[in-house]
Amino acid sequence: MMLTPPFNLHHPTTVDEACALAARLLEEGRPFDWVAGGTDLLPNYKWHIETKPDVISLARIEGLDAIETDRIGCMVRLHDLAISEVAHPLIATAASKVASSLIRRSATLGGNLCLDTRCFWFNQSEDWRRSIDWCHKADCGSGAECRVIPNQNTLCVATYQGDLAPSLLVLNATVELIGPSGARTLPLRDFFQLDGITRNVLKPGEFLLMVHLPEDAAKRRGAYRKLRVRESWDFPEAGVAASWVPGDVSSLRLASTGLESIPGVHDALVADHGDWTLPEGRRELAEAVKGAVKPVNNTALPPRYRKAMVSVLAARAMGDLMEEV
Amino acid sequence: MSTGYRQQPGSTGEATRTDGKRVAGKLRFQPPGSGGSKPVASPRDLDAIPESVGGREPQPAGHHVHDGLRTGTSVGRPTALVDANAKVTGQAWYGDDVRLANEVIGRILRSPHHYARIRSIDTSAAEAMPGVLAIATGEDAPDTFGVLPVTKDEHAMAVEKVRHVGDLVACVAAVDEATAMEAMNAIVVDYEVLNPEFDPRKGLEDVDEPIHWRGKYHVGKTNVQKRVHQAFGDRSAIDHAAATSRRAWRFEGVHHGFTEPHAVVAHWDANGRLQLYTPQQVPHYTHRALATVLKVPMHQINVIRTFVGGGFGGKSDPFPHEMCAAILARKCGRPVRITFDREEVYWINRGRHPSYIEVKLDADKDGRIAGLDVDALIDGGAFASFGHVTSYYNGVLATAPYELGSFHYTGARVWTNKPASGAMRGHGAVNTRCAVEVGLDDIAEQLSVDPISLRLANLLPPHSRTISGFRITSNGMREALRRVKEESGWDQKFRRMPLGKGIGIGCGFFISGSGLPIHWDPNRFPHATVHLQIDMDGGVTVHTGAADIGQGSTTAVAQVVSEVLGLPLEMIHVRSHESDTSPVDLGSYSSRVTFMNCNAAIRAAMEVREQLLDAAWDMLGYHPSTLVLVDRRIVYKHDPSISVSYLEALHKAQEDKGALIARGAYRSPPMGGVHKGAAAGLAPAYSFSAYVAEVDVDIETGLVKCTRVWAAHDCGKALNPLAVEGQIIGSCHMGLGQVLSERMVYGRTGHLQNANLLQYQIPSVHEMPHVTPIIVESSDPEGPFGAKEAGEGPLLPVLPAVCNAVYDAIGVRPSSLPLTPDVVWSDIQKRMKAEGVADPLDLTSPRLVHGPLQASLDERAAEHAGRDSARQRTDDTSPYVNGVLFGFDPERPLEEQAMGWASIDDPDPAKMAEMGYAGRAWLLKEQRHMGGDE
Repeated sequence: MMLTPPFNLHHPTTVDEACALAARLLEEGRPFDWVAGGTDLLPNYKWHIETKPDVISLARIEGLDAIETDRIGCMVRLHDLAISEVAHPLIATAASKVASSLIRRSATLGGNLCLDTRCFWFNQSEDWRRSIDWCHKADCGSGAECRVIPNQNTLCVATYQGDLAPSLLVLNATVELIGPSGARTLPLRDFFQLDGITRNVLKPGEFLLMVHLPEDAAKRRGAYRKLRVRESWDFPEAGVAASWVPGDVSSLRLASTGLESIPGVHDALVADHGDWTLPEGRRELAEAVKGAVKPVNNTALPPRYRKAMVSVLAARAMGDLMEEV
Repeated sequence: MSTGYRQQPGSTGEATRTDGKRVAGKLRFQPPGSGGSKPVASPRDLDAIPESVGGREPQPAGHHVHDGLRTGTSVGRPTALVDANAKVTGQAWYGDDVRLANEVIGRILRSPHHYARIRSIDTSAAEAMPGVLAIATGEDAPDTFGVLPVTKDEHAMAVEKVRHVGDLVACVAAVDEATAMEAMNAIVVDYEVLNPEFDPRKGLEDVDEPIHWRGKYHVGKTNVQKRVHQAFGDRSAIDHAAATSRRAWRFEGVHHGFTEPHAVVAHWDANGRLQLYTPQQVPHYTHRALATVLKVPMHQINVIRTFVGGGFGGKSDPFPHEMCAAILARKCGRPVRITFDREEVYWINRGRHPSYIEVKLDADKDGRIAGLDVDALIDGGAFASFGHVTSYYNGVLATAPYELGSFHYTGARVWTNKPASGAMRGHGAVNTRCAVEVGLDDIAEQLSVDPISLRLANLLPPHSRTISGFRITSNGMREALRRVKEESGWDQKFRRMPLGKGIGIGCGFFISGSGLPIHWDPNRFPHATVHLQIDMDGGVTVHTGAADIGQGSTTAVAQVVSEVLGLPLEMIHVRSHESDTSPVDLGSYSSRVTFMNCNAAIRAAMEVREQLLDAAWDMLGYHPSTLVLVDRRIVYKHDPSISVSYLEALHKAQEDKGALIARGAYRSPPMGGVHKGAAAGLAPAYSFSAYVAEVDVDIETGLVKCTRVWAAHDCGKALNPLAVEGQIIGSCHMGLGQVLSERMVYGRTGHLQNANLLQYQIPSVHEMPHVTPIIVESSDPEGPFGAKEAGEGPLLPVLPAVCNAVYDAIGVRPSSLPLTPDVVWSDIQKRMKAEGVADPLDLTSPRLVHGPLQASLDERAAEHAGRDSARQRTDDTSPYVNGVLFGFDPERPLEEQAMGWASIDDPDPAKMAEMGYAGRAWLLKEQRHMGGDE
């Protein structure tokens, strides 16, 4: 049987209490993890991947599971998001495509945004990782090199495979972070930080409290296309989200996931290309998005294929926008 | 008003009178064995009695020898499995549900290296840890074992060398799992790392250190474990082939993916006997291996088969962890439980062999299959397991259902430093079958004929012999093809659908029971034995060693006993868990259980039936030939008012001697040729199947979705149609996994990259098509009530059906499995490049204009349909051997009739090497030729 290593589970009931607890643990030098739904963290713990002696659960803090048009709490379960009539339809659609029904009932919005990066050299049991002499992302003190791109230890190339980020990115969402040193709000696009280990700008003790949506988000229509072998369970091998304010060609935003260590934002490409509402323009823009991503060989499907599919997904997502007009 | 023998507490039901008095013959609570006093027999259900004995059940295939035993009780009725309640209420006890007092936890230390020599193992630190009760290493059990007596190459734990990542090195028993894991990590092993090999193609090359040493028969200094060769027929016909299809296939390894991970509990009881609880398909082989490895006589071991949470061939080897648990338990004097992680399940593997298979088909101008050449190189991983047999099956199971002008097979199995391959549902037949059926589609395309017509015009008839000497008895292939063609609307769809939508056909052929018991002389000992015991209460206890692994064998055995004795299923109690009480049975593999075990059960039930009828003869004065069994009564057939209850007859039969005991056994008839390997693939009966699959292919992404399957399977007689349909649908799911997404991925470094159920992609409910199961009943003359297997054969056709449907949809013919989207996409890209098409949406799908051959094939098929139906009903009993279609006289040996007719001659290595990888294995010399004495 796979045994989860023991840890102290803390259950703060308010945000302040959670922050105070985090501050205390930091002070005592006790490493800890936040846990929301646990669908990402606990499988990794079972595999003995970077387990910590303390885990702080956000589950008993009230008020973090509210869905409103302009903001969504970090503890909103993906299932509730998927069936919500309040949430933006694009977010609901993206949430409905995550994993399986069972997992969505536990998994949360915050957890999905803070999803650990994935790699088939990393998401393995301890025995397995020992047999490859560890890897850069979880080197267990060995200084092991990256197994995906050997001979480099500057960057971890594990892949970010969250489904919700691209949709929130094309809606221009901002995230509210909170921790012992207070709260701060920043655009979601600045939240992610290119490296499979660092992943995002969360400082020690900080957690993602809330996602805010700008006023114009409601006017936007969106589409999300996800590449996966099975309609259930599978993480995105590639995913492209698009949104626009119907009628305004220049308002198009594009974002991708499942291709690099962080989600990709491709808005700059839109300005450089012609009218994407025409099939030809759409194809060109889709090709440009494909050119902007660099997947590596660490998920189920080969990177060459995933890259090629980005243009198909992007063209289809844009096509979906057109259909909805 | 019948409460029967359902002995539910307080089930008085309607047996009360309004005046408060007791109903005659009824007690408020029925004591055991009550009832049966109903003076008038209920009439038999004539719809469940065959025509030949006066009922209304249609028998297109004619009379069956067991027809006279039919009572219309349970055979042929959709029946919920008898262990279903236990499973749905959570009362079924699987391997890890066993909890014994004082038990401790065992963990296994596994090799982190692919291939290494063990210099030393230091367990002293681990042994000193508090809570650690025992540690064992390879030294504790140096004897080898293996599922096949000819290839015993496994140890309980590594002796001298480890051969793959995950190979067992040592094991620890401790008070709890955390302590066991801690102790495991404290064991220091000093390895000398050796050069590993992962590519089976390189297994043909000489190396410094072969993974195993075969002794004087070792092939060169290579890793070839087994090489086989068979050749039959007249090769001259292929010189004038009108169409030739040659394809080199690559099949990835797949795993059974059963739900329950392996788990075992070992306990040496107060008398020093080993009680071993394990979810095994083949408890008897484990029993034997335990005796060898532990050096205790078999009678001092009781193997208790727990409920099995899925087997599919993956729980049929004796396993090293079973030995480990027993060794640890012996050392520490307490019961030891070992339960696997999912990852460990992949490390013990025994899944389908990764294979390189080349198939060449030649058709002559009449659309006959003049030649079938198969070359199969299979990757055995680190151990032999069932590989000896698999090496043969990859070729010989392709010799039917079609009549062949010639057949040529070379096969080789090599060791690599990967988890061992073994037997998996459709053992050895699946990959080659896929390649052959796709090749036939290619031939049909070249000849401009319909692929179903091509198949229908080349089928072997019932009661015939294949080119390699297999005895075909019942054969429902033609009927299966006819049904799927009709129900799928084939003629309106094939080669007529728009780009991206396609339909395809595939056929299958599989053994129903292996002809030879591998551990003993088939001419002296039976394959299966069943004991029946009936005491005064009237309940029938059936003792059988058949392992129910979810396929419903217990239900099938209960059904046939219930049918013969005319008793409701609730009165039949099957006891099959313990080797102490079960007669020896070969276990659940090679689709043998229904055929062999039910035959044995019928024989035992017949013996009891005879005793009951004799008793009734005494009581009624009518000869048994005039008596019939109906529901719990024995009735004089000319006057139903003259009858005796089952219980009365039973008690009469028990006078002076007590409980009735009967025994039945099954032994397969002598069959087959005398050439080397003639026994491989030999079976007392064969199943046939034909599937049509419909797919949607996303032409831009290469994603294949199977939307519909029409699945016709000839199972002889569906004893339990519900179970047969379940097997067909389940087989579709498993086959679709292999064809669409499942594969064991060995990465750049030879590590298994996806040893978990997230990355090993078993289709989910979303990928499951709508399956229409179609049961074809050809009534096998030797099967129990006509039944044949339905557990493995139904898997075969779904793979080629999907491959052929993909071709119909996008004009791309696959040559590797699984068809993951990236593979299909790059095939599409290749086609676009070849045709100079820029946008995949501009591709065209293949179309068919019937060529001149079509009419003559249809004519031949129609003619053969008449022939087959006469042979099936045994109106025509003339001999028929493969070759008649090519003008041979079945009464004379074929060798006399054709100059070039070969039957297993000396292989010509140079010629064989032209074909493929396995052929090249024959260029190598065995050590004995080199005078080697190692």
